[in-house]
Amino acid sequence: MCRTGGVPEPTGTGDEAHTTAAFTALLEDSVEDLYESAPCGYLSTMMDGTIAKINATLLDWLGLDREAVVGRKRFADLLTIGGKLYHETHFAPLLRMQGELRGIALEMRRQDGGRLPVLVSAVVKHGTEGEPLLIRITVFDASDRRAYEQELLRRREDAERARAEADEARRQAEADRARLADALAVLQRSLVPDSLPDVPGLETAVHYHTASPDQLGGDFYDLFPVAGDRWAFFLGDVCGKGPEAASLTSLTRYTLRAAAHHDPDPASALSTLNAVLHERYTGGGNPRYCTCIFGIVEPGGAQGRAVVRLASGGHPPALVLRADGRAEFLPTPGGLLIGVVPGAPIGTAETVLAPGDTVVLYTDGLTEARIGPGRDDLFGEDALHAFATDHAPASPRGVITALTELLEGFGDGLDDDTALLALGVPATPSTPDPASPTVPATSHTS
Amino acid sequence: MNPLTISRRDTATGPVLHVTGDLDYDQAPVLRDRLDQLPVSAGQCLVLDLSGLAFCDSSGITALLAARQHALAADADIVLTAVPANLMRVLTLVGLDQVFTLRPDSSAAS
Repeated sequence: MCRTGGVPEPTGTGDEAHTTAAFTALLEDSVEDLYESAPCGYLSTMMDGTIAKINATLLDWLGLDREAVVGRKRFADLLTIGGKLYHETHFAPLLRMQGELRGIALEMRRQDGGRLPVLVSAVVKHGTEGEPLLIRITVFDASDRRAYEQELLRRREDAERARAEADEARRQAEADRARLADALAVLQRSLVPDSLPDVPGLETAVHYHTASPDQLGGDFYDLFPVAGDRWAFFLGDVCGKGPEAASLTSLTRYTLRAAAHHDPDPASALSTLNAVLHERYTGGGNPRYCTCIFGIVEPGGAQGRAVVRLASGGHPPALVLRADGRAEFLPTPGGLLIGVVPGAPIGTAETVLAPGDTVVLYTDGLTEARIGPGRDDLFGEDALHAFATDHAPASPRGVITALTELLEGFGDGLDDDTALLALGVPATPSTPDPASPTVPATSHTS
Repeated sequence: MNPLTISRRDTATGPVLHVTGDLDYDQAPVLRDRLDQLPVSAGQCLVLDLSGLAFCDSSGITALLAARQHALAADADIVLTAVPANLMRVLTLVGLDQVFTLRPDSSAAS
């Protein structure tokens, strides 16, 4: 309230006396009514709890008649069972000890069986000799407050439950992700070997760059022995991404492995693959195909030379780094994407690796890496040839290391999977010794 | 990125689709869908006019092969016209220049 000058303060002794008299009259008139109709419950009990006096408010709250209560019931009789227990164990002993209690939460029992949450204060009245005479008790209706507390509690429980559910969902998602990652890793290993076998008389090295760590790669390679002292190897790129690409990769890899054992002629192996893919994926309006370069190497020739025969279906040409410092592509012209048409033409090439020579197979992630702002600013075959010339001669491990650094230098420009496979005859001719095989340098990055 | 647009006109010899923009991983499905709904009759020749094609990646190549399957399934032919130099380089690299009939421009089909 804000008093302004407009209303004069009551002044003068005559006015004061009049006001005091009016208040007194009002108060005297209402003491009993104040007790009976106060906005809280009052009761007085003997020291043993027997109710001596109780106001109308509390009787009304509990739905009881005064006659049924006064002298007949104890305070504890008005409480719920839980309230009685608490009264017995805490309320009464504390009150005896301290002489008063304030704001104790109890539950009272209504005549209709309902419960009334209350806050109780009590004080012991003593006689002139200090002896306890009776107990005065004030009872406040705490229904609203209890409801408020319960609402708070309920909200806190809701929040805790929501948080627990979110935690559980997150845990589940993380578990699912981990399980999927495990499955992908196992599947990826079935598509691309972790390491290459040792080939007597040859050094080999591979590198696989995965564009997206949670996607199965679409590039593949393999190296394995076939009849005689020959070894088959291949490297390729299937169309598309993800699980569909992976199933195509799987079909491709195992078809080529089987074909190579049946007829270790590079062009025959790719023709078989072409027939298999065409039969499997023709029709249905969803063409699936791959590019692939397949080779047979026969190491251990005169002066350590190795003969390499290659066949290609639509794949970028292999690159050879010669011991004398030259670099050259091995064109396999006329080869077509594998799986597109029946009886697809296969391009072939042949070369001899002398000591110090290295042949490199790669997928077009390397040559199609973007090196400028435009979508067509690609690294390209000419730049790859120049890069190879700069690095020749180089061992398989040397050239794969250099190319891996080149790939890393592309940064965001390299947005496709890239597989690299190099094999070569060591520069210092050494007699193939199975007891000390060369260890392939295998590296995987993502 | 250049948005892909495909306009169609029908000629006496068959439908001509004029494809402009980028035929890439994101947009190639648009051409695939369009082809699925394109009626081609036996003996007709489906022409893809690529004069306005700005970019084509492996997904685009797959879409072109799907177009070829679609035409062959209807006993029709397919012709690519006005193939841009970049795409021509890729088609040659993967040998598809032997698979598709290529023409310098689409005027012969109109």
